Amino acid sequence: MPSLKDIKTQINSVGSTKKITSAMKMVAASKLRRSQEKAEAARPYSSRLEEMLSSLASSAASGEGIIKLLTGTGNDQNYIVVPVSADRGLCGGFNSSINRETFKLVKSLEGNGKIVQLMPVGKKSRDFFNRVMKDQIIESFVDLNVSSTGYESALNISNKLQELYFDGKFDKCILVFNKFKSAISQEVTQQQLIPLDVSNSKKEEEKENSSNAIYDYEPDEETILKDLLPKNVSIQIFKVLLESDAGEQGARMAAMDNATRNAGEMIDSLTLKYNRTRQAFITKELIEIISGAESI
Amino acid sequence: MATISFDLVSPENLVFNDEVGTIIVPGKDGDLGILPGHSKVMSSLRPGRVMVYSEDKNLIKSFFVSGGFAEINPEKCIVLAESVVEVNALEKVSIEKEIQELENKEGKESEEKLLVAKAKLEAINVNYYDKI
Repeated sequence: MPSLKDIKTQINSVGSTKKITSAMKMVAASKLRRSQEKAEAARPYSSRLEEMLSSLASSAASGEGIIKLLTGTGNDQNYIVVPVSADRGLCGGFNSSINRETFKLVKSLEGNGKIVQLMPVGKKSRDFFNRVMKDQIIESFVDLNVSSTGYESALNISNKLQELYFDGKFDKCILVFNKFKSAISQEVTQQQLIPLDVSNSKKEEEKENSSNAIYDYEPDEETILKDLLPKNVSIQIFKVLLESDAGEQGARMAAMDNATRNAGEMIDSLTLKYNRTRQAFITKELIEIISGAESI
Repeated sequence: MATISFDLVSPENLVFNDEVGTIIVPGKDGDLGILPGHSKVMSSLRPGRVMVYSEDKNLIKSFFVSGGFAEINPEKCIVLAESVVEVNALEKVSIEKEIQELENKEGKESEEKLLVAKAKLEAINVNYYDKI
């Protein structure tokens, strides 16, 4: 049976853990708000860009040069998978679900005879894949600091991807990231980045086709498209980074909220135990005194 | 006189959004003056000044953009720019320094940066379009 002092120390230590987790929850909550604002601020740009792109996509006839970002290389043998995780832990299943999903994806692609390479973004996925698939990592990006220099990081990643793509190192690029659904739920999502998947926006285009058809292009459609496509890759990555950042803060907030609640419950049960033990000691002492008095 | 709605968007945020009289954007093949009722045009932009005027032709704001796209239709003009700074916020000294540094470097990337930096300097120095 633990002594009273042991239980007291345990209560104290759980109490300080609770303080830490509740502080982390507060921090995550305020960061979440900021990340969410960022993600929302970036939305007009990416949606406009997509609209422009979808109205131009039909003019991409030849599959040469930069247009390849849209039309693809014609093969689908070599894949590059980009898992986007957080740099830090303590956010519940946020990172492990990304790693698990990516791992499954890689295995299933390999099962179909494809060659898969990895380009992890974020410390947690880099460390994980460094352990399990070290030879397949061609590049990794960590310490992105999305909230302050997000766009530059996105540019770096997109430049690297495009460099590899035009060197013919891969045919398809798939992003695996946590899509921000609400403050407490994220959804692991796969998105094909290269070649660009315009099937979703196509439908909208058909609706507005009548109004889109009569644009004048300066200098001409192809030149604009050539400018637009690389930019779109960067913007898509930027968007994903922002979503993932918001998701991370949300996940951390939820995890820390849980931890705080658990610590509270633990303190309650420990306090109960403490009081019971104390009571037991008193009773025992009383019995000793009484039986001592009787024997005299 | 009518107005045209103007959006200036950067990847990070919506920089400007209002009804204005006239806009001048630096199109790749030359500057475009946009008035309400402009025909539908989609243009890519070179580094330069985006000037915004009120209905009575007073300059409201001038921005420097490092490139991007403009989508224009009779009611609306949208500029998607990679980076946006107000021309007033540009500092001549630091840009001149940047140009000097970049001139000593080689490679495609620094060449592009040099072009942007030179355009920035020009944006500070010139004053045409201040009155239209």
